[in-house]
Amino acid sequence: MATTMRTQYREELERLEASALDGLNLVNTALERTLEAIEHTDVELAQIVVADDDRIDGRYLEVHQSLITLLATQSPVATDLRLISALLHVLKNVERMGDQCVNICKLLPLTGNEPPADDRMVELILAMGKQTRTLIAQAKRAFAERDVEQARDLVKQDDLVDDLNRQCFRLALEIGEDIDRREWSMTMLLAARAIERIADNAVDIGEQVAFVVTGLFREFEDASHPTP
Amino acid sequence: MDARDSRRNQAMTEPNPDPQTNPQIGSETAGPTISVAAAESGRGRRPRAATGTVELQGLSAYYGSNHAVRGVDLSFDAEEVTAIIGPSGCGKSTMVRCINRMHEEVEGARAEGKVLLDGLDLYDPRIDIVAVRRAVGMVFQKPNPFPTMSVFDNVVSGLRLTGAARGEMDDRGREALVGAGLWDEVKDRLKSPGVGLSGGQQQRLCIARALAVEPEVLLMDEPCSALDPVATLKIEELIGELKERVTIVIVTHNMQQAARVADTTVFMLGGALVEVGPTDKLFTTPDDERTEQYVTGKFG
Repeated sequence: MATTMRTQYREELERLEASALDGLNLVNTALERTLEAIEHTDVELAQIVVADDDRIDGRYLEVHQSLITLLATQSPVATDLRLISALLHVLKNVERMGDQCVNICKLLPLTGNEPPADDRMVELILAMGKQTRTLIAQAKRAFAERDVEQARDLVKQDDLVDDLNRQCFRLALEIGEDIDRREWSMTMLLAARAIERIADNAVDIGEQVAFVVTGLFREFEDASHPTP
Repeated sequence: MDARDSRRNQAMTEPNPDPQTNPQIGSETAGPTISVAAAESGRGRRPRAATGTVELQGLSAYYGSNHAVRGVDLSFDAEEVTAIIGPSGCGKSTMVRCINRMHEEVEGARAEGKVLLDGLDLYDPRIDIVAVRRAVGMVFQKPNPFPTMSVFDNVVSGLRLTGAARGEMDDRGREALVGAGLWDEVKDRLKSPGVGLSGGQQQRLCIARALAVEPEVLLMDEPCSALDPVATLKIEELIGELKERVTIVIVTHNMQQAARVADTTVFMLGGALVEVGPTDKLFTTPDDERTEQYVTGKFG
């Protein structure tokens, strides 16, 4: 096999992959701040997360446009085509994960300055967030290393998040009669749900890893037809 | 069966198994023959879907001691477009030129193995090579209309050799021009020189010339490499229409063209087949690492 060809194209594709995956770092930072804002009821930090989402959206737009340009000008095929298709998905996931952080942070002012928080529920949500941050990092690594096993393992890691989410729900049911406390717990359930969705997006990225490597797209877990 | 179908069988087709209509079969002296007369006697008898299948069996081609095509087994199905891709010198043009026995015209060149057209071995010594060329038409990289002939004379030049009657020539010449998507553009200048047409029109004129003798197979060796994008698109659309009438084998350096026009794509390297498969498969998830490297432009 003779000389390497299309050097600029290859470099551009590598740069765009790195840039798209770096979007996951931005999301991880946003989620970290979101969790801190929840833990300390820090409304100002929450506002920073909302404002900073522009960076994630900007990354989405910039890389998306460059990928479309590559499609138009370079006619990528085979693995390159699958990679670009997967990166377009990853970008969408990154953008949605950022939006979920924004959703949570917009909820926080509604709980008031000194909400009637339940420590057990806050602990559960922080644990969910921590586990989700692990998933995001693992999804990024799996993609960069084209590691299907690591990608598949995301499903197991996501099960832990789902389990914590269910615990949150049970806790909300048992939160008691106090109306403020009940309102707070409902808001926190929405936050838990948003984190759970972020983790699902990380699993989706794992599915794209499998697509890039094998050329076959299969949902790791089909929510509409769950395995018994 | 319509007139076109029956005419398809005039130039040559597979051996006719019916001794009532084909005097060649059952005769101990006559071998498999491609002749207008034989096919005439059986016209209208054969299902057209069965015609135009090419099969290469252990095909090798040499230029002197240079082994350019190395034992290729491959078939080209009727009503399909097959694209051959591969880097320069991989043997794709040579392989295709073996199908209409053009390869042997080069000094010191020879071929081994079998090329079967609907089961008939085109390298059988009893085969008439002129009939092979009529059954397997070819279009080249550069349009090559006969410079001294008018548009119409170019189209019917092959028919003249068969001794077709004037009325028939007019009909078939027109039909070939319509088939090549050129009729509307040249109907008012049929007597003008063929070389006066644009490059794209000249190439379609050459396609019309090839179609006029109703071939079973049309070989196209880089047919668009000298054409602009609009002319290229016209040829590509034409290929899509023609595949219902002739088996098309196209050699191309333009991978997007292969992706656009071909049902099956063949990737060759060093005179051998590397991968053969449905075009979409080859360009999305090729099985062979070398195919992947080539189509993504990592070498070539």
